[in-house]
Amino acid sequence: MGVEPWERDVLAKEEMQLTTDAVEAATDDHIYFSKEASSGGRGFGGGGCGCN
Amino acid sequence: MSNKDCNRSIAAALTAATCTLLGTSAVEPVQAQEEPGWDFNTALLYYGEDNDRVQDLSLNILSRRVFVDDRYLSLGLTVDALTGATPNGALPQSVPQTFTQPSGRRTYTTTPGEFPIDDTFRDSRVAVTAAWEQPLGRLFAINIGASASSEFDYTHLGLNAKISRDFNKRNTTVSAGLAFAQDELDPVGGAVMGLTQMPVAVDDDDDGDGDGRNRGPAEDKDVLDVVFGVTQVVSRNLLMQFNYSYSDSSGYLNDPYKILSVVDGTSGDPVPIAQVPGVDGPSHLYLFEHRPDSREKHSLYTQGKYYMDGKVLDLSYRYMTDDWEIDSHTVDLRLRWPLGSRSYLEPHLRFYTQTAAEFYRMSLIDGDPLPEYASADYRLGDFDAMTAGLKYGWKTSGGNDMSVRLELYQQSGNVSPDQLIGNQVGRDNYPDLNAVIFQFGYQFGK
Repeated sequence: MGVEPWERDVLAKEEMQLTTDAVEAATDDHIYFSKEASSGGRGFGGGGCGCN
Repeated sequence: MSNKDCNRSIAAALTAATCTLLGTSAVEPVQAQEEPGWDFNTALLYYGEDNDRVQDLSLNILSRRVFVDDRYLSLGLTVDALTGATPNGALPQSVPQTFTQPSGRRTYTTTPGEFPIDDTFRDSRVAVTAAWEQPLGRLFAINIGASASSEFDYTHLGLNAKISRDFNKRNTTVSAGLAFAQDELDPVGGAVMGLTQMPVAVDDDDDGDGDGRNRGPAEDKDVLDVVFGVTQVVSRNLLMQFNYSYSDSSGYLNDPYKILSVVDGTSGDPVPIAQVPGVDGPSHLYLFEHRPDSREKHSLYTQGKYYMDGKVLDLSYRYMTDDWEIDSHTVDLRLRWPLGSRSYLEPHLRFYTQTAAEFYRMSLIDGDPLPEYASADYRLGDFDAMTAGLKYGWKTSGGNDMSVRLELYQQSGNVSPDQLIGNQVGRDNYPDLNAVIFQFGYQFGK
């Protein structure tokens, strides 16, 4: 399992990062935090909002 | 060629070969470091629910300054403008229902047959974040951050830290994170006491609030989050992540604006209350909700990213369980499909399901002993949700990234027939939700 350092060409692509768009991820987390009873998972549970 | 010359030539060849492997330049080694500078990720988001419910216009800016040696400073700003209405928790009825506004000063009346919604909802929110990230030695990295936000009735302050270490030729990264937040709620009209009756509208003082009989001062809520994660490179085309999260909330966890209808045990209709001439007040018996003052959540999360001949599949799953007896499952699927070298399409599907909190109930029965906790907040009920969306992204002629996305979000409640009493059968008892999400994104300075 794993790759050698010179085999990281694909993994280094921007679209292969776990979070490709931090702002979109944050807005989605905020929407679902406001409308559902679950939050977090990918990172911290979010919050900082009186919406839930 | 002398031995000395020969050695020099071999050394130069080895240096060149090493630098090629490492992707650096032997001529300008310093230039291979990231140039210090700012990049920006911005987005304008519209979120709108049907039936004149919540509308949110949100501006988001995340800026990042890159320093030498892989050190980053991130600063974020979010400004939300919220309007609309939200279900107050009362059941719909065949006659108009009147409620006292959260301020306690006036009343509002809702249309028969429709879910009672409080349309006095207006708010704005400003949130800021700051984070610093840097390597520690060759294999460790740390990230420390702070967050703060302010709404009309809510203030948040938070700190977070995360440390990670690479193993196995950097194919495995293990991380641990900790976040603590201290929030203060200062609801319009005061923080209501749980399971007390909605009062009549009174404005007998000059402070703008109601009479304050069942209201307390501002309340606090503390949230502690812990996350442990493992990121694993499986192959040249597959990256996986596994996280365990623990979250502990304590303090005032009620939604101070949510109520429950008290209904007749036979008819299932809300119980009317006697009206005093000249006094505005609720038409029926309503009690404010009351939740436990602590909540522990556990989550397991896994994500995989798989590269398939230019296309990237992003699949994640989250399981959450808590001591309010809510269990949830979330599956999120995105497929980034390149259109030439400068643009892409990304369809997105998300499925979510949750069970109800143990104290969730649609109504309280008149004459029954009051439970310790009760809430009719639809977000604590048993429901399924689905999101379907499409994103289109492209690179501008200047090399910046733009994107637009449109998504539809739908919630559908599950109310079992044995929960229904009398006339509640056949009525719409769960406020289903349809929302549209539109976002324009622009990233520049990279």
